[in-house]
Amino acid sequence: MPRYKTKKSNVVVNVDKRLRGIRPFTVCAVVKNLKIDDHSLSQLIQLQEKVSTTFGRNRKEIARGVYDLNRIKPPIKFTTVKPDGIRFIPLEFRRELTPRQILKEHPKGREFGHLLEGLLEYPMFIDSAGEVLSIPPIINSEYTGKVTKETKDVFIECSGFGLRFLTPALNVMVTALSDRGGDIESVKVVYPGRVLETPELEPKKFELDLDYLNRVSGLNLSMERVCRFLNQARYEAKPSGKRIKLLYPAYRQDIMHQRDVIEDVLISYGYNKIEPLIPKLATIGNQKPVEAFSNKVSDIMAGLGLQETLSYILTNKRNLFEKMNIREGNVVEIENIVSANWSVFRTWLLPSLLEFLSRNKHVEYPQRIFEIGDVVNLDNREETKTKDTRKLAVMLTDNSVGYEDISSMLDSLLRGLGIKYTLNRIEHTSFIRGRVAGIFVKGRKMGLVGEINPLVLEKWDLEKPTVGFELDLSALTP
Amino acid sequence: MSGSIYKLTEEGRRYLENGLPEANLVNSLKEPMDIEDVKARIENFGIALQWAKKKNWVKLESGKLFLVRKPSQVPEHEALRKISTGRRVDGKMIDLLLKRKLIYIEREDVVKRAQKMIGKEIDNLAPELIKTGMWRKAKIKPYNVKVTGKKIYPGKRQPYKHFLTEVRQRLVELGFREMEGPMIETEFWNFDALYQAQDHPSRDWAQTYTLKHPKYGRLPSRGIVSRVKAAHENGWKTGSTGWGYKWDIKKASQLMPRAHTTASSARTLAKLPEIPGKYFAISRCFRPDVIDATHGVEFNQMEGIVIDKSLTFKEMLGVLKMFAIEIGGAKEFRFYADYYPFTEPSVQLSIKHPQMGWIELAGAGIFRPELTEPLGVKEPVIAWGLGIDRLAMFKLNIDDIRELFSKNLDWLRNQRVLI
Repeated sequence: MPRYKTKKSNVVVNVDKRLRGIRPFTVCAVVKNLKIDDHSLSQLIQLQEKVSTTFGRNRKEIARGVYDLNRIKPPIKFTTVKPDGIRFIPLEFRRELTPRQILKEHPKGREFGHLLEGLLEYPMFIDSAGEVLSIPPIINSEYTGKVTKETKDVFIECSGFGLRFLTPALNVMVTALSDRGGDIESVKVVYPGRVLETPELEPKKFELDLDYLNRVSGLNLSMERVCRFLNQARYEAKPSGKRIKLLYPAYRQDIMHQRDVIEDVLISYGYNKIEPLIPKLATIGNQKPVEAFSNKVSDIMAGLGLQETLSYILTNKRNLFEKMNIREGNVVEIENIVSANWSVFRTWLLPSLLEFLSRNKHVEYPQRIFEIGDVVNLDNREETKTKDTRKLAVMLTDNSVGYEDISSMLDSLLRGLGIKYTLNRIEHTSFIRGRVAGIFVKGRKMGLVGEINPLVLEKWDLEKPTVGFELDLSALTP
Repeated sequence: MSGSIYKLTEEGRRYLENGLPEANLVNSLKEPMDIEDVKARIENFGIALQWAKKKNWVKLESGKLFLVRKPSQVPEHEALRKISTGRRVDGKMIDLLLKRKLIYIEREDVVKRAQKMIGKEIDNLAPELIKTGMWRKAKIKPYNVKVTGKKIYPGKRQPYKHFLTEVRQRLVELGFREMEGPMIETEFWNFDALYQAQDHPSRDWAQTYTLKHPKYGRLPSRGIVSRVKAAHENGWKTGSTGWGYKWDIKKASQLMPRAHTTASSARTLAKLPEIPGKYFAISRCFRPDVIDATHGVEFNQMEGIVIDKSLTFKEMLGVLKMFAIEIGGAKEFRFYADYYPFTEPSVQLSIKHPQMGWIELAGAGIFRPELTEPLGVKEPVIAWGLGIDRLAMFKLNIDDIRELFSKNLDWLRNQRVLI
């Protein structure tokens, strides 16, 4: 296990309580006696970017900065500043700008400025001589924040919203620099009410129970072998009765439970050396009743000569309402949409079939299709305020096709399923007036059947008579 | 009526096959017999007795039936045979058979229509020719039999859906029970109950949709919620350190489109599953991916769990081995260490597919105790997931995932059926 020694530096960082809600946390370090050449300089820049993008979700959670320590006069203040409250030269620039100007004019300001959107004050590192270090997470200053081949000693800070992510991010940076020959020194970070000494690189402690390991793994490993595997996996392992006392490097953040250690032991052992045992458990297989029922219905519909289709459950309000010539209803609506085409969950199935037909206008007729799929409707009584329903929709289109064609198909399906039903005239503006019926089973409306309104056909750019029905399979499932 | 065509009635056809009743009567009469005994043995006894007496083959004396003479042949039977194959029979016999209702005269118009078709080459056989037996005189034109007719499209299942149905069937055969879960989930079931920290980058990495409406759902019983909260904050009684942050109940009640099938596994565990138990789900999942050949608007995930107190890492590998053989059709397979956010330890399965070569087929792991114990499950739970979309694409011979939801009717009509 690698060990990292830290000395105390005399650098202090004072954290202003005004940062609450803006960027409240920082952890810092000093690394001295670096030997920076062109190669290691580009490596350092790459490392910083990598820390930001992986731990920091592209600077949102974690911003980090590396500064020339010899150009800074500690103590350093981590505080806030008004957008026009100061002027300094940002990295790669030759003139002074205010933070507001940086956001507008500097390439990094334009790239990351949205992260400060809506704030009245911006976070800022500044030293005791009034020299700005940086406006995180946007940009360092040209004077302190530029690391060159001449730089020997650096000050490093990571800032963000929680120590849980900042600590490992800082540790990864400083241990990487130490591996390249630098000497790590700690910094005193003074918060209102508490003081941290960072980085904290002392190895962390953990304990593993040998019996538990053997119970989880199904292996029968000796104490000696387990310790050997642990040492291979960069732990320091010491037996203590039936337990093993462990030390592990501070940069590891992923050890919460003995299971995390057990995985490392098993990886050292070799997954492919372990014999797989297919569990011999007496269980009875079963599918959901609605799936079994849907499957039967599919067979009948295919038997009637129809082609099954499959479409996305996501769609848009235009397809569900406007193009169906009905009033807009309530739907489950997505906030962070990728495309307006897929912004709501479908509430009924017939629009999906019309969309399908509209893409196949020049394919041989007659076209006879069906889909069995789920729709989502709002329902306040449900735990998730929504209810999924399995539906069947059928559509026939040809030069000459009418109500009898579709009602006889519906009839043959329901007779085949042994379901008694009645058709009653209803009003529905997606259909031709007087050519649409509700499908009622035991007095409950289970769907509708009819001839599609030519106005609807026009909206979908369809040119042949079209008839269809939609049926609630969830409610009909025995 | 010399031009008439005669056909056998149903009775005539029966006698042709089984013999005339009077003949059957004399054949069965080896010695004088009590009339009641004979009656029981002979079909249509009344007719049989009437004609046998008339033809003087039998006599009846004091309730007993005596054989007078056994005929060497039965002319009516011979006549029926001739008529049935379109041969001629003399007029007297015709009259007799008509009287006995064993034959009838075919309709004149049918005969006329049939007559028009004979003596020349015709395109198709017609019912008139068959009814009148005149097909014997007709000549049917030979065809070019190499030509198939017009293309027709049978009713068919959607190929991808059909594939999923078959996989579902296979899992049921392997003893798995299907799990339930809604498409719109609370973050609680999609993330928190799976021990995903609320501020953990992986909630971001998973790249999930959020809803504009509806916004919040209801959480399960307070017991489960407080145990999950404790597991996140301090590990509860699971022996874990927990994530060490302040868990927010409001965030947990936010609704979102299900991002993975694992949400259904969490619900199943909380409902206290059968033990031993094997479960699966195939569900539509939603993530705001940029759409390309490998990322669709929606996708299906297949996942499941296996629960029993006897399970260890070896059984976890065993579950994967079973999938390698039963679903992947592979003989060779290998395991690799991998990371999944809900399991520890975790493993990835690659198989040598007979046609595709080495592919990643499945992943599995033992659910973290921080996940299972707050839901009330003490036994080890093996969680597994299978990359079915990839298998489907191979089976359907497509290389763009969007085609699984094809809107091309021509393609669907001409796609071969899954075997």
